[in-house]
Amino acid sequence: MEQTAEIKKEKLLTKKDVVKAFWRWTFFSHANYNYERLQATGVVHAFSPILKKLYGKDEDEMKSALERHMQFFNTEPSFGGPILAMTIAMEEERAQGADINDQTINGLKTGLMGPLAGIGDTLWQGTLIPILLSFTLPFGAKGNIFMGPVLFFALHWIIMTVIAYFLWIQGYEQGKEGIQKMMAGGRLSYIMTFSQTLGAIVIGSLAANFVKIATPLRSCLHELVL
Amino acid sequence: MKISLIQAVLIGVVYYLGINGTPWLSLVGTHGWMRPLVNGTVVGLILGDPVQGCIIGAAINLPYLAFISAGGTVAMDPALAGTLGTALAMAAKVEPAVAVTLAVPIGLLGTLIWVAHMTVDITFVHMADRAAEEGKIDRINWLHIVPPQLFLLLITVVPVALAAYLGADAVEGIVDALSGRPLDVLSAIGGILPALGIAMNLRAMNGKGTLLFFTFGFMLATYSGLPSVPIAVFAGIIGYVFTELYLKDKNGGLA
Repeated sequence: MEQTAEIKKEKLLTKKDVVKAFWRWTFFSHANYNYERLQATGVVHAFSPILKKLYGKDEDEMKSALERHMQFFNTEPSFGGPILAMTIAMEEERAQGADINDQTINGLKTGLMGPLAGIGDTLWQGTLIPILLSFTLPFGAKGNIFMGPVLFFALHWIIMTVIAYFLWIQGYEQGKEGIQKMMAGGRLSYIMTFSQTLGAIVIGSLAANFVKIATPLRSCLHELVL
Repeated sequence: MKISLIQAVLIGVVYYLGINGTPWLSLVGTHGWMRPLVNGTVVGLILGDPVQGCIIGAAINLPYLAFISAGGTVAMDPALAGTLGTALAMAAKVEPAVAVTLAVPIGLLGTLIWVAHMTVDITFVHMADRAAEEGKIDRINWLHIVPPQLFLLLITVVPVALAAYLGADAVEGIVDALSGRPLDVLSAIGGILPALGIAMNLRAMNGKGTLLFFTFGFMLATYSGLPSVPIAVFAGIIGYVFTELYLKDKNGGLA
């Protein structure tokens, strides 16, 4: 008995399938971004080779899977990506016969998408981009194309894609327990506090360097002209 | 400088590639491309002077330094400001500081294009719903990419190409009419605009002691005169020390 259960647990998906879904999501997540359901069709599009592999032979299962993933979904795609990788792991278990219903899958998806979007936007648009711009923009202002726009574009793409890929693979391998552990553990608040502090200081220096305002008022304080 | 029709269309395509949702560069790539620093340089390349495009693009990028788009809302459109702003500024041969003031209102117009794109795409979701009922996954994939992207291409390339092609003369006329004091006022406003983007970013971050650290960074940059890389290193060290102490305190003395 135990042996058959073991065999049943064998993975239906290969790493290649999971990686393929990552690239589909990386490029097409927002292709049909809209006010009603935001990234819903993006999720279906990213999952489509996987859904075909898992439910391709069963029309009813396929219909219910499509209905399940056509629901409202919106997150920051790089840091929120592991939610979808985790969903892939759950779909795989479901196809193997595990008792996972629509509510479980959608409950996890909608429960995690907001918190991870908040984290992702803070780390990415709120911290990483201003830091990268703070040292490439001055080169750009002097007309240095390589150290300005080219370096900014390349560094930004490479850093974010590597992070997103790593998180996606982690999300699939660790499954739902892994993500919940990550959210509950201290590591997350550590990263958030650290990057908010770092970001605030860097943005403060940006304000000092880039907001140009001259005033005829002068105040002299210890010989120092403000 | 005259912008030819082909150049104008290419500038429209540069704008299309900078819209949140175009698949060609990946979402992350699009977010890099939408910065005026990047797309201004490309527009400069199209108009035959990438270095000048880079300088103007860097200037236009200032108000969008800390630009953040979250939850499907976009308050301004840096990609439109960067592409059309750089093109018109180069055509009218204005100073980078004036280019910023020209570009920011253009960037506000971009939100109209964004709203149109986000609204019309709902139609394709409803079509995808019907396909889902029939279990036709390939049709959903098609609906996800082809119709929304064609629509987006239309509403981005056409207005931008027309504005770049027809707008250059008009902008030149406006800038001539404004020369002197009005233009000085405009460049002064252009200098303050980065503060707006920075304030928006700070609101989005909203962490423990953000304002304090912001002030610290401001003072450090003002009084030390250090360039941004060493400041970022100091910021990293301070961030580490603060995080260690803050979380230790929060966890009741246990690290």
